[in-house]
Amino acid sequence: MALKKSNTTAPEETQSSQRDCSEISKDLISEDPSKRRWAARDIVSCAHASVMLLDQLEAEKDMSVKQVILSSLTQIGDTEAVNGLVRCLRTEDVSLRNEAIEAMKHLPREVASIMASLLNDPDPDVRIFAVNILESLCHPDVEQWLIDVIRDDEHVNVCATAVDLLGEVGSEKSEPALLALKERFTDEPYIQFAADLAIKRIIGS
Amino acid sequence: MSDQLISDQEFDKFAEFFYRKTGIKFDKSKRYFVDKRVAERVKATDSESFRHYFTTLRFQASGEELQKLTNLLTVNETYFMREDYQFRCLIDSMLPDVITRHDPNKPIRIWCIPSSSGEEPYSIAMYLLEEWDGIDKWDVELIASDIDTQILETAKRGIYSERSIRNVPSTWKRRYFRDVTGGQQVIEDIRDAVEFTRVNLSEPADVRAMRNIDIIFCRNLLIYFDDLSRKVAAEYMFEALSPGGYICLGHTESMGRISPLYRVKKFPAAIVYQRPLEAK
Repeated sequence: MALKKSNTTAPEETQSSQRDCSEISKDLISEDPSKRRWAARDIVSCAHASVMLLDQLEAEKDMSVKQVILSSLTQIGDTEAVNGLVRCLRTEDVSLRNEAIEAMKHLPREVASIMASLLNDPDPDVRIFAVNILESLCHPDVEQWLIDVIRDDEHVNVCATAVDLLGEVGSEKSEPALLALKERFTDEPYIQFAADLAIKRIIGS
Repeated sequence: MSDQLISDQEFDKFAEFFYRKTGIKFDKSKRYFVDKRVAERVKATDSESFRHYFTTLRFQASGEELQKLTNLLTVNETYFMREDYQFRCLIDSMLPDVITRHDPNKPIRIWCIPSSSGEEPYSIAMYLLEEWDGIDKWDVELIASDIDTQILETAKRGIYSERSIRNVPSTWKRRYFRDVTGGQQVIEDIRDAVEFTRVNLSEPADVRAMRNIDIIFCRNLLIYFDDLSRKVAAEYMFEALSPGGYICLGHTESMGRISPLYRVKKFPAAIVYQRPLEAK
């Protein structure tokens, strides 16, 4: 029989989680992706962790390290981390942008405090990403934010994204704003269709 | 003590604390399940109130009470040969692939988490011995881990009811089980072949020791985690796996919704997930 009992415990490995912060920050820029991943995990309890993680996120090429950095930033969830995630929304790196959106969905309290400014960002893409964040953000103001978007935003794509979501999360409170939206975009067949569908779903429910 | 031992506010605090320690999230819909078990521990520790008990839980240096409560709050229902199409996939597809690049002088390492009461790792051991020709040429290490220390002791004893072993072929039953008081016990050779260890998948120090794993069975565990803890756990398992190593999830779980780090592998018997070969 060739089933062999293993001995998995490796105390020297276990000890290495108690490294000091200067060593961890050096590992965060190591050549070895595995060292960078562990450093990205271990750094969460160090001072200025978010700043170091965000610096590395910008330079990082390895997807697995990026993922761990994003998880750590989500776990830390301080102002620096949230602002760094917002910066990711402006990058051309689609995967990083999507990951930032996913990460921000896990930070309802922190993201709520900047949601109004994201929804009023001059860049319509950022406003669309903000609506994407609302999709899974557990926050009582989600419906009101969406109502504000379809009432005030001038960009049809931003409104279209918001109206789709309102069909899922909206209540009767949204109906007047949906009707007003149809009036604002009378020449946009998609808006007419999506607003009607949202109203039907809301009234139906 | 009032009818409601834990106030809503206290429950929220407790749920947050337990989540940070274990990655397991309990929302208000689970209150009946949680309250009943917490009440049991409040009584067992002679705590005068939940508040008093919660203080012990948070500040006890040994963490003994947290472990006892964790044991109560984790679910351990399983049986032999459960979702055995994945064991078929192990024999027919995953192992044949793993050995193409494996150092013949090193053992193949299979990790089951959660171990629960041992049915899964013992089923795998039996499958390897009965169904895999390669067992004559390769050493295999089977590691089974769980956060619940009590259930690990049960697993090590390896005594099961008829119901638990109902799907084991009768020839295997004769070969690998013995009648004992209280049920059927897995024979010593098989029990000795599995290394049972306590691992909290949300604790970096615990997972750091797991290295060079070729195949992970992590079935029906991540469903108890919230999205972020699930992603973090998937990242730890990525670390534990050798490049090209595989992970098997429960049939209702999908890695695609958890982490983008893995590749989907569609084998004839099962869909599993692979750490890319080129991932360092």
